[in-house]
Amino acid sequence: MDEDILTTLKILIIGESGVGKSSLLLRFTDDTFDPELAATIGVDFKVKTISVDGNKAKLAIWDTAGQERFRTLTPSYYRGAQGVILVYDVTRRDTFAKLDNWLTELETYCTRNDIVKMLVGNKIDKENREVDRNEGLKFARKHSMLFIEASAKTCDGVQCAFEELVEKIIQTPGLWESESQNRGVKLSNHEEGYRGGCGGYCSML
Amino acid sequence: MAADSEPESEVFEITDFTTASEWERFISRVEEVLNDWKLIGVSSGKPLEKGVYTTETWEEKSDEISFADFRFSVTHHYLVQESNEKDSKEELVEDALPVAMQDLLCMNNDFPPRAHCLVRWYGLREFVVIAPAANNDAVLSESKCNLLLSSVSIALGNTGCQVPLFVQIHHKWRRMYVGECQGPGVRTDFEMVHLRKVASQYTHVSGLLDIFKSKIGFPLTPLPPINISIRLTYVLQDWQQYFWPQQPPDIDALVGGEVGGLEFGKLPFGACEDPISELQLATTWPHLTEGIIVDNDVYSDLDPMQAPQWSVRVRKADNPQCLLSDFVTEFFKLCRRKESTDEILGKSAFEEEGKEVADISHALSKLTEPAPVPIHKLSVTNMVHTAKKKIRKHRGVDESPLKNEVLNTILLYLFPDAADKSADGSEARTSTSTGSLPPPDSEDYNLYIQFKSAPLDSLTYKLALCLCMINFYHGGVKGVAHLWQEFVLEMRYRWENNFFIPGLANGAPDLRCCLLHQKLQMLNCCIERKKARDEGKKSNSFDRSSSDTGTPDLLGRDYHKESDKEKGEVGKSWESWSDSEEEFFECLSDTEELKGNGQENVKKGVAKEGSKETSALKPEGRLHQHGNLTLLHPGEPLYIPITQEPAPMTEDLLEEQSEVLAKLGTSAEGAHLRARMQSACLLSDMESFKAANPGCCLEDFVRWYSPRDYIEEETVDEKGNVVIQGELSARMKIPSNMWVEAWETAKAIPARRQRRLFDDTREAEKVLHYLAVQKPADLARHLLSCVLHAAVLKVKEEESLEDITSVKKIIKQIIIHASKGLRFPNPEDKKLEEIIAHILSVEATIAQARSLKAKFGIDKCDQEEERKDLENFVTSLLEQPEVSVIGAGRGPAGTIIHRLFVNAQKVAMMLPLDEELKRSDSSDEKRLNSGSVADFPSPAGHEVILRTIIPRPAPYSKPLPQRMYSVLTKEDFRLAGAFSLDTTFF
Ligand SMILES: Nc1nc2c(ncn2[C@@H]2O[C@H](COP(=O)(O)OP(=O)(O)O)[C@@H](O)[C@H]2O)c(=O)[nH]1
Ligand SMILES: [Mg+2]
Repeated sequence: MDEDILTTLKILIIGESGVGKSSLLLRFTDDTFDPELAATIGVDFKVKTISVDGNKAKLAIWDTAGQERFRTLTPSYYRGAQGVILVYDVTRRDTFAKLDNWLTELETYCTRNDIVKMLVGNKIDKENREVDRNEGLKFARKHSMLFIEASAKTCDGVQCAFEELVEKIIQTPGLWESESQNRGVKLSNHEEGYRGGCGGYCSML
Repeated sequence: MAADSEPESEVFEITDFTTASEWERFISRVEEVLNDWKLIGVSSGKPLEKGVYTTETWEEKSDEISFADFRFSVTHHYLVQESNEKDSKEELVEDALPVAMQDLLCMNNDFPPRAHCLVRWYGLREFVVIAPAANNDAVLSESKCNLLLSSVSIALGNTGCQVPLFVQIHHKWRRMYVGECQGPGVRTDFEMVHLRKVASQYTHVSGLLDIFKSKIGFPLTPLPPINISIRLTYVLQDWQQYFWPQQPPDIDALVGGEVGGLEFGKLPFGACEDPISELQLATTWPHLTEGIIVDNDVYSDLDPMQAPQWSVRVRKADNPQCLLSDFVTEFFKLCRRKESTDEILGKSAFEEEGKEVADISHALSKLTEPAPVPIHKLSVTNMVHTAKKKIRKHRGVDESPLKNEVLNTILLYLFPDAADKSADGSEARTSTSTGSLPPPDSEDYNLYIQFKSAPLDSLTYKLALCLCMINFYHGGVKGVAHLWQEFVLEMRYRWENNFFIPGLANGAPDLRCCLLHQKLQMLNCCIERKKARDEGKKSNSFDRSSSDTGTPDLLGRDYHKESDKEKGEVGKSWESWSDSEEEFFECLSDTEELKGNGQENVKKGVAKEGSKETSALKPEGRLHQHGNLTLLHPGEPLYIPITQEPAPMTEDLLEEQSEVLAKLGTSAEGAHLRARMQSACLLSDMESFKAANPGCCLEDFVRWYSPRDYIEEETVDEKGNVVIQGELSARMKIPSNMWVEAWETAKAIPARRQRRLFDDTREAEKVLHYLAVQKPADLARHLLSCVLHAAVLKVKEEESLEDITSVKKIIKQIIIHASKGLRFPNPEDKKLEEIIAHILSVEATIAQARSLKAKFGIDKCDQEEERKDLENFVTSLLEQPEVSVIGAGRGPAGTIIHRLFVNAQKVAMMLPLDEELKRSDSSDEKRLNSGSVADFPSPAGHEVILRTIIPRPAPYSKPLPQRMYSVLTKEDFRLAGAFSLDTTFF
């Protein structure tokens, strides 16, 4: 194992089927676009090590299918994820309209409330855009998410999306540290601070 | 005494005093440190405001230096004042006295409630102390003390540092310091006397004045006024009117009482001893001048009742025994036990069970038995009986750790459905709600998410509380093991007899709860499936004539076995997630449909995959029509099929599964295999779909299952009509992609005759086995989150009665702390201990509040305003180091304190108590009352500060601050003098 890897992060990609989740992931991990990519069954898994601000992080990325019937599988993969990428297709409004459902599901199954969320509007290379950039922006702001538009085909925004997500995770205290590194919160003891030098009633003794 | 018991103390030894080099090195090190800390140059500052020594923060900086090989620590103590920073510059007056000398005279911060002793003695806001670094070390001989002091003096002179520099001499416990402060042409010497035995002249103000005057060697008459501050402190330890300890709850009463088992859900609370051990009353005369009062060896004007200022502090018992904390701590200790349940209860009480666990086929044969399931009546005696019998087999009859009635009560509490004579399992599912629960969705109710415990009306939560109580009152770990064994037997009983487990939310395991809770939910899921299947089977067997041997499931099974062989190697992996060979889903009890099916199945089996033939078959397993969609070829309506429910999963199973999937790696083959392993559900859905829609094609399936993979386009045909043409998406059209492959493999089989995706029998046995092998320690770890959750709720509830702001804050922090610590699978012991310690401190604080409220008779006070004031007073006592008493001895609180002292005095003198001391004692009355007994005991502390400004050493010198502090206690006496002199002409 690499010695200098700071941490392993679990990242989840969700969204309606066909919006280009697997393509985005393939673009990120292998820097290719495969028009013959098969439709995902269940969940798929890829690994990539990236370096953000000089910190190396190993990403374990879970790609999900998105079809209604497969969704019963995915809640388990929400567990313990530090970051989630929610993808829609800018040329299909219905995939944008379903985002709310995905967020609800995320909230239900996610085990931590400080998970970092990123919204990606994919397929901006295509002509027939149906969802305006501003709409995506508005949605992301409303739900405190990172936002970017991208194209798995032309490579636009893909690298950037993953890097920003990882950076944000690393900046979020307590989110990525492994348990031993996690120093935990210091509870302020109300007795503390009362004991300086020979504080209290000492001079009487 | 302490001094004699320190044989190992190393004494400051310098081999050669004349070695100038060591000495010089030491001095230059001191100077270096002063430089590093930027303590050089003029120190200035405004006179301090009242109370800042308590309200602002004190900080300290330390360094280490040595004299030869003797190590000293140098520490800078200073008050950090936020507001003062800006003003300091404009105040630069040449020849101004060092700020320390001004502090000597400042009266705004006399007797600070909490401060370094040098602050209390000299009123300093800033100083540096050089003390032996090791706790046992000491500078004893006079010559060495002098040597150190002259080093200090030289260092101050060389650097021009105006901060007072002290050296700690003698043993540390004596807190003896000498020191010096230098300014331009001025110097203050800090001297100290510490005695065990006190000469009588030190015990009164007039004697101290004589010492002060002789110390400053005042050369002139008349004397300038000498300012006097006095504080007398009285200690009260005997709280006559208030009784403690609180009785711990009587457990036998609980069990026998009519409230019954419900009481098992309650945690005890409170201190077993008085958490307030002492009250200290300080009576202060802040500002007197010589001659105003008389205090000498024959007479004193210092009547505490007449003191203009009263302040009170309380001493809290160090580690008061508290019930809730004991409960939680004892339960936590269980986590470290090593023994298994068997080891504790005697040889393998589970042995017999174990056989059953291992022999799944036995359970299976039971399942497939066509005979109707016998309906057992659930009852507690029945439950206790089963377990009892088993214990009896292995040990003496009366040896079981839990008494029958205790066990009965607990089991009834845990399984309230057992009391229902109807014994209807479905009713048992609705959790029994008790009136006092917070409403679901409230913040309190949802605490289980933070703690990863379980909802507070759940079986798991109740079980945790019961085990906690049993651990405390009923034989500790033995009792725990016994109850757990009963519990596991009950779980098996319910599984085998199709009774739902009560107190669990419906549906798949809630991953936000603790693992044990998930396991129980899982078992319930299994029971649900099995029950549905058994009921379906029951109605089947009633419907079918006994001669009808060809049962559909048997045929179906044969059919599957055949097709398995056909599929060969590739086919194997299709079913990797559902490898129980024999079991079929079959949840429907739709007998109408079932009747005709046997024969059709045979046909289908023969017909292989010829789609034209199957299209003639009767559709099966339809759920409902899918909108207006019609099949592409026959044009029939498209039906959504009844599908198999996805397998419920607990978090450990999920972890296992994702690990397996991840292990396949990221290669193309790995990805392919991963998809294969997960395609069982897809295949099953395809089969159901085919069964429901005879004659359908993949396009039809995709339109239902993954509509975005069916692309429709409007085109204009030759005749100019607009037609909608559809086709599969590019990725679905890739030859031999897994969807196509699966579609080709799929047979038209309705869900109920498919191989089960979820093998409830196997999963149930796995859960039951898991439960059976849990040691008490495992159990404690599983359930600790529930116990902590319950403890926090208890503390919250108790706090709400008292309304203590500081406690509210800590509770909030505990919850945050817990939610971070408990979310991980195996929280560290250290974190758990921390959480428990904080719960303990909160419990103690609440107990302290109650104790104080009782002592100050707040409940008895019927005047609204006075009561409010008293409540505030009590709250302040808990949160502040010292609280001043409004109206001193004449205010409402003062009156109560006075009465407390009077009563304690009377008890000490064996006199009857004075219950209702009148509010305003006239002094005549008092004299009568106290004819024989004083209202107050003799003071535990007697502090006097004397201050003046006079020229020293000569009458024509600059007038400079002089101060002497003295404190007399029962044990010792201390004089701390700060005497300044003009050095200009010397
Ligand atoms: N033009 C274009 N097509 C894309 C892009 N990303 C994905 N696709 C296509 O969209 C379809 C679905 O992509 P896929 O990654 O399988 O989506 P998934 O179901 O969300 O994983 C495929 O045919 C891809 O070739 C993109 O950025 N631009
Ligand atoms: Mg995909």
